[in-house]
Amino acid sequence: MADVRVLDKGTAPDRFARGWHCLGLVEQFKDGKPHAVEAFGGKLVVFADSQGEVHVLDGYCRHMGGDLTQGSVKGDAVACPFHDWRWGGDGKCQGIPYARRVPLRARTQAYPTAIRNDQLLIWHDVEGSEPDHEILPPELPGLAEEYTDWTWKVVPIEGSHCRELIDNVVDMAHFYYVHFSFPTSFRNVFEGHMATQFMESKGRPDVSGGYGDAELFLKSEATYYGPSYMINWLDVDYKGFETEVILINCHIPTGPDSFTLQYGITVKKPEGLDDDTANYIAKKYADMFGGGFLQDVHIWKNKVPVANPLLCEEDGPVYQLRRWYEQFYTDAADIAPEMTDRFEFEVDTTKANEYWQAEVAENLAKKAADEGAEMAEA
Amino acid sequence: MPGIVATSEETRQDEVRYTQARLVEVACLDCLARVGVKKNSDHHTQIQWSSAALADCAEFRRAETRPEGRDVKAACPRLRASIDAAVQSGEIVIGAEDGY
Ligand code: FES
Ligand SMILES: [Fe+2]
Repeated sequence: MADVRVLDKGTAPDRFARGWHCLGLVEQFKDGKPHAVEAFGGKLVVFADSQGEVHVLDGYCRHMGGDLTQGSVKGDAVACPFHDWRWGGDGKCQGIPYARRVPLRARTQAYPTAIRNDQLLIWHDVEGSEPDHEILPPELPGLAEEYTDWTWKVVPIEGSHCRELIDNVVDMAHFYYVHFSFPTSFRNVFEGHMATQFMESKGRPDVSGGYGDAELFLKSEATYYGPSYMINWLDVDYKGFETEVILINCHIPTGPDSFTLQYGITVKKPEGLDDDTANYIAKKYADMFGGGFLQDVHIWKNKVPVANPLLCEEDGPVYQLRRWYEQFYTDAADIAPEMTDRFEFEVDTTKANEYWQAEVAENLAKKAADEGAEMAEA
Repeated sequence: MPGIVATSEETRQDEVRYTQARLVEVACLDCLARVGVKKNSDHHTQIQWSSAALADCAEFRRAETRPEGRDVKAACPRLRASIDAAVQSGEIVIGAEDGY
């Protein structure tokens, strides 16, 4: 008797990933109030100083644990609602109004920040390293002039670790089953802190929802810059109408099996179209890709983690992707060369597409027959 | 202390199987790069680079940055030709083993 394959569920990572994490569009934090963001198993407070510069601190006051996100911004500091201690953007206590002097040790955790593509990013590393600006995601050229405003969405996910989301980078077949499209071409390249998926796909004509639509063609290039921030360049051809879409897919881990997914869409304004129409198109694509994420979420919520996926020839390089991802959960000094060495993989989609075309044709024939029968009954 | 740990020895073996098994060393015909290659079918290709090979690739050095902020180098056409040649000469045998 052949051995039964055992699912190895592995163990959850013992830390949160090192790297830049996006907290969302920076503008929302500039209203003069402290904001709460769940992250890394706790809560952060985000606020803007009098110059409009945005700062991120641990959310809990080092005095007696007051919740700074429920405090207020006073001058350049966030003031705790409990006893009014004032914390500056650099993490130092700037003042205690009722005290003669501030204890020298009054310093809380401040996260290094960077602004990219209108978004606020923070550096997180359990080892407390200096932020690495070399590996920030790139600035998107022409964003201010040629693209619509971001349509931005926040989706809290409970019950899955964010590594489930990462697996999507290499998962060719799920695009057919979960997202209703045929990936006709599928390649991956991992190198350094980046992992990329190159995909061409067309929508399934037999289902609607997700990317299901016979007249939808996507040419997609999606790169993770570090553990949590992906830029996805999409050339979309819908009914012969071509649009350049940029999708940001990022997340913040919030606990051992929860994270906050955020995604943003901007569309290159087609020439000759007014802003309202361009924004309308951006919203439509945001709905479509948002629907795509929800399809994934449903799967993640119900699956188990698996450290030993059993693969067939048509699958992408899951093991190599995880080897790449491991670098963000390893002390910087212990990163092994194979975690960051360049790796390329081209999936053979021939057999899959043959089978899928046949299945779709069958589904369409069945649908037509059912409709015919209904017509006859009526 | 690593982050994501497999709990069984068999998983460890799978990690080696999927990442390292049957890689054939291919030397680029145009530069000094040597990489590990596996082909499960005509269309499938897996290429494992090392940092030394990457530094040797003349093509990549020329294509250091791409426009539009996309800095991922897609593939080296010269290496691709070298892999095709290795298939022709029989150094690379095309075919998969039990899913890897
Ligand atoms: S707990 Fe924050 S001021 Fe006392
Ligand atoms: Fe997905």
